[in-house]
Amino acid sequence: MTGMGGNAGTGGLGGVGVDASSVPNLASLATATAPPPPAEAPPHGLGVSLPPADAAAKTQGTFPYAADLWAEGLLWAAVLRSPHPHARILSIDTRTAAAMPGVHAVVTHADVPGDAAHGRKVADRPVFASELVRHHGEPIAAVAADHPDTARLAAAAIVVEYELLEPVTDPELAFSAEPLHPDGNLIRHIPLSFGDPEVTGEVVVEGLYRIGRQDPAPIGAEAGLAVPRPDGGVEIYTASTDPHNDRDLAAACFGLEPERVKIVVTGVPGAMGDREDSGVQLPLGLLALRTGHPVKLAATREESFLSHAHRHPTLLRYRHHADAEGKLVKVEAQILMDAGAYADSSSDALAAAVAFACGPYVVPHAFVEGWAVRTNNPPSGHVRGEGAMQVCAAYEGQMDKLAAKLGLDPAELRMRNVLATGDLLPTGQTVTCPAPVAELLAAVRDFPLPALPKDDPEEHWLLPGGPDGAGDPSAVRRGVGYGLGMVHMLGAEGADEVSTATVKVSGSVATVICAAVETGQGFATLARQIVQEILGIEDVHIAPVDTDQPPCGPAAHGRHTWVSGGAVERAARMVRTQLLQPLAHQFGMSHELLTIADGKITSYDGVLSTTVAEALDGKELWATAQCRPHPTEPLDETGQGDAFVGLAFCAVRAVVDVDVELGSVRVVELAAAQDVGRVLNPAQAETRIEAGLTQGLGAALTENLRTSAGLVRRPDLTGYALPTALDAPDIHIVKLVEERDVVAPFGAKAISAAPVVTAPAAVAAAVRAATGRPINRLPIRPQTAVAGG
Amino acid sequence: MCQSCHVRADSTYRTAGTAGITGEGAAGLTMHAPQAAHTVTLPGSLDEAVAALAAMPAAVPVAGGTDLMAAVNSGLLRPAALVGLGRISEIRGWQYQDGHALLGAGLTHARMGRPDFAALIPALAAAARAAGPPQIRNAGTLGGNIVTAAPTGDALPVLAALEASLVIVGPGGRREIPVGRLLAGVEMLAPGELIGYVRVPLLYAPQVFLKATSRTGPSRAVASVAVVLDPARRMVRCAVGAVAPMPLRPYEAEHWVASLIDWDGERTLAPEACAAFGDYVAAACIPDPAPGPDGTEPGTLPPAVLHLRRTVATLARRALGRALA
Repeated sequence: MTGMGGNAGTGGLGGVGVDASSVPNLASLATATAPPPPAEAPPHGLGVSLPPADAAAKTQGTFPYAADLWAEGLLWAAVLRSPHPHARILSIDTRTAAAMPGVHAVVTHADVPGDAAHGRKVADRPVFASELVRHHGEPIAAVAADHPDTARLAAAAIVVEYELLEPVTDPELAFSAEPLHPDGNLIRHIPLSFGDPEVTGEVVVEGLYRIGRQDPAPIGAEAGLAVPRPDGGVEIYTASTDPHNDRDLAAACFGLEPERVKIVVTGVPGAMGDREDSGVQLPLGLLALRTGHPVKLAATREESFLSHAHRHPTLLRYRHHADAEGKLVKVEAQILMDAGAYADSSSDALAAAVAFACGPYVVPHAFVEGWAVRTNNPPSGHVRGEGAMQVCAAYEGQMDKLAAKLGLDPAELRMRNVLATGDLLPTGQTVTCPAPVAELLAAVRDFPLPALPKDDPEEHWLLPGGPDGAGDPSAVRRGVGYGLGMVHMLGAEGADEVSTATVKVSGSVATVICAAVETGQGFATLARQIVQEILGIEDVHIAPVDTDQPPCGPAAHGRHTWVSGGAVERAARMVRTQLLQPLAHQFGMSHELLTIADGKITSYDGVLSTTVAEALDGKELWATAQCRPHPTEPLDETGQGDAFVGLAFCAVRAVVDVDVELGSVRVVELAAAQDVGRVLNPAQAETRIEAGLTQGLGAALTENLRTSAGLVRRPDLTGYALPTALDAPDIHIVKLVEERDVVAPFGAKAISAAPVVTAPAAVAAAVRAATGRPINRLPIRPQTAVAGG
Repeated sequence: MCQSCHVRADSTYRTAGTAGITGEGAAGLTMHAPQAAHTVTLPGSLDEAVAALAAMPAAVPVAGGTDLMAAVNSGLLRPAALVGLGRISEIRGWQYQDGHALLGAGLTHARMGRPDFAALIPALAAAARAAGPPQIRNAGTLGGNIVTAAPTGDALPVLAALEASLVIVGPGGRREIPVGRLLAGVEMLAPGELIGYVRVPLLYAPQVFLKATSRTGPSRAVASVAVVLDPARRMVRCAVGAVAPMPLRPYEAEHWVASLIDWDGERTLAPEACAAFGDYVAAACIPDPAPGPDGTEPGTLPPAVLHLRRTVATLARRALGRALA
């Protein structure tokens, strides 16, 4: 790192309000390791706010997404989707559609050459529904035509005869309902048991909580282009966030070897978990193989809402026992997650929900029973912070109840119970990573509260209901609430979390080849920073991602910051060794005594000074490395086991204004403190936390994809209200606690998920404080936020 | 007749943008292909527009297109031809006529939201400012809001409370109908007819429009209330939007509250009277379930409907309070 870099980092850190103690560290490190560079040097290396390389293209609208792709002679696809949530398909007649002029192919379940069903853990999801339709919007057939309108009209001309069946929409009734799938309606059941069931506390509070169905609502809907290959295979261009897994599923369905299916990852227009929909990719590939033409599809917003993975709607019942001082004695909980019709990653979500059911608190005795069940509701799957977010809203509701019953300040009650390094989770796993929960809570608690606007002119007030709105100052009450949340990083329960990266140096340019998808989480920028830091090369390119590269796994659970970042670091170090070893040998010193900065190699004593280009002497250096964290184990039949690689914590204080007559809520301020291990890019860290808090705010106030009898009621952005700029509050990142996690590369923890998990609980707590109402349902409905209503 | 204003758009999707109706993507592609109608007419006057519609009965008139083009893009509507009203300058402003303002149907929400318009018809300006994000307000028009007749149309309760009337132009000349009759479906637009103007009385008295929404940013109304004072006729007029397919007028509540106001004096009411007015309005718009025909006990309203009633009551109380403040 250079002095300039250090200074830039200091400025950035100051901007996000990081604990000042970390700043001198960076500066002293900087001055110790490098001479001051020319003043115009751009920021580079770790710990500085390097801007993303694609920022200009994205803001100018020239960045290509999958929906912008084009191929000569392409056909357009349309997917016929079920208008019913549960029905038996009696017949499918595609003759009229196939005979329409301009239609090249119509495919149904009968045209799937390989495995009829696919799925991440359980292969239970058909490419096209064959006998049974299990959710509204399930694909039934697909058409390729020379025009998108022709394709859409042809899809509408397919005649499907249904026998309507009673949909199973209440997860509580799923246990007794007819099985929706041959393997039954119970996807997973975890009866966690930790400690002594006979123990009781002096104070007991109970609560029932419901969490709605948040949709990831990415700004760009699903899209893809499939191009047939001369070897009988197919290439699919799409914004996949887990390309190798998508390839393997697709190859199995197409009846091809994985090598003959290639997924090329295009620009990702927003991803909050699993982004792409197999109901788009698989029909595209089948149609391309069938017609021999490139086939393109760009989903409508309605299709997008119907078919991609949603957050699990969850019903939670809690009983907390505490002693008279407010120390938690026992937590009993039942958690029921609505997985929709297909298993997808529901068992992972349930594991997270059960393991974190007590939150970042010390709980000596815990009995948590969790179920994930099939219903005919829209499919649930991986959406950032799944499992952890639902339980956070519930256990924090319980903590507020307990505080009220004991007459304690809610922050004080939480402070008496916080988890720390060395404590046990209810799964029996010891928390070995930094767990500065008390420090986080103290930071948000002690941060000054925002001033009431009473001294400002009245026209500057932004009341619930918006500018010039119906809000009335006499009916507005202010509330303050706290939330403490935790998430796990990396896949859990024995998943092989491996990533592979290649670093190449040629001339003055380094290239990173790594199949970790840049979804907006900042991996591409981080990879550039890592190579800059280790090799001292400014100009770092990130190669486009496709499945011919070694697998890196899904962009989920902060994996790429950890494993892919770790792989890039190792590969870069191997290149560095290759570069310096000959020089070191020549000068009779260890290569550790040589440093690289600004393209120059210098020795500790200044005797040797050369440039990277000279040392390379026209050679290209390549190195490939893997990063694989320590293994984990599955939760056993009582929910015990070391299931998680790492944990990250967050504290949020929400300040809300509630119009207690209309029940309208405006979040005034969110103050967050987060356990980040180490800040690798201050500006990016800040934006990730702001984005996460805002997504959490949406889950707390408005975002709920509503269904009635299994039918999605309003699959559009008018019916599904996302937070707007006026809804996003002032966000203060009060403190980023930089306590290195020794097992993580650079000591850094993933940042994105923890704020999503914690913000809804904090907002609910603040509305509870403002209205005195229980607030046990998210999103918060206006009628439940009306005082005395 | 219209002068050379027929613009033919190529029927292939790659060049569908030539008529200026659909834009092209960055790569010269558009996803939503030849939904651009084959014929787009851009008349320069109302008479030309009427003539163009008469010449092509299948043509659909389009002003801001904020509702129409969304329906076209989603494949719900595929007009054979479009008559664009955006170049008719005579309906993009307003004029004064015997105590009334004659508002052009092509007035955009953005224009109506400006202070000079707000000084004339404050409630309509407030509704226009609340009608959506700036992009929608820049394009969407008063006439379009009326023709779309969405239950959540923000201008509609204001027009109902103002007892505005619509000047309809068509092949048979001009006619004028009260806005309520069109919104209630009692009278319809005949083929080839357009809304030319909206006649609104100038009342020179406070007017308030309030809406309850699900978020702080722009969104559709859960319920909206317009309250208009008419001191010359000693009347209070109120309309409630979004709770029914058309704006509702609680006449009894209006008359009752007008009788309480001292029109020659301070024009104030006790808070209790405003609250009673709110409850009166809400009960009129969201009535209790009627007992069954055989005298069975009436059911109770579900909690969500009760909350809606409470919301209407609160909005009406606040609106009247602000109008009388």
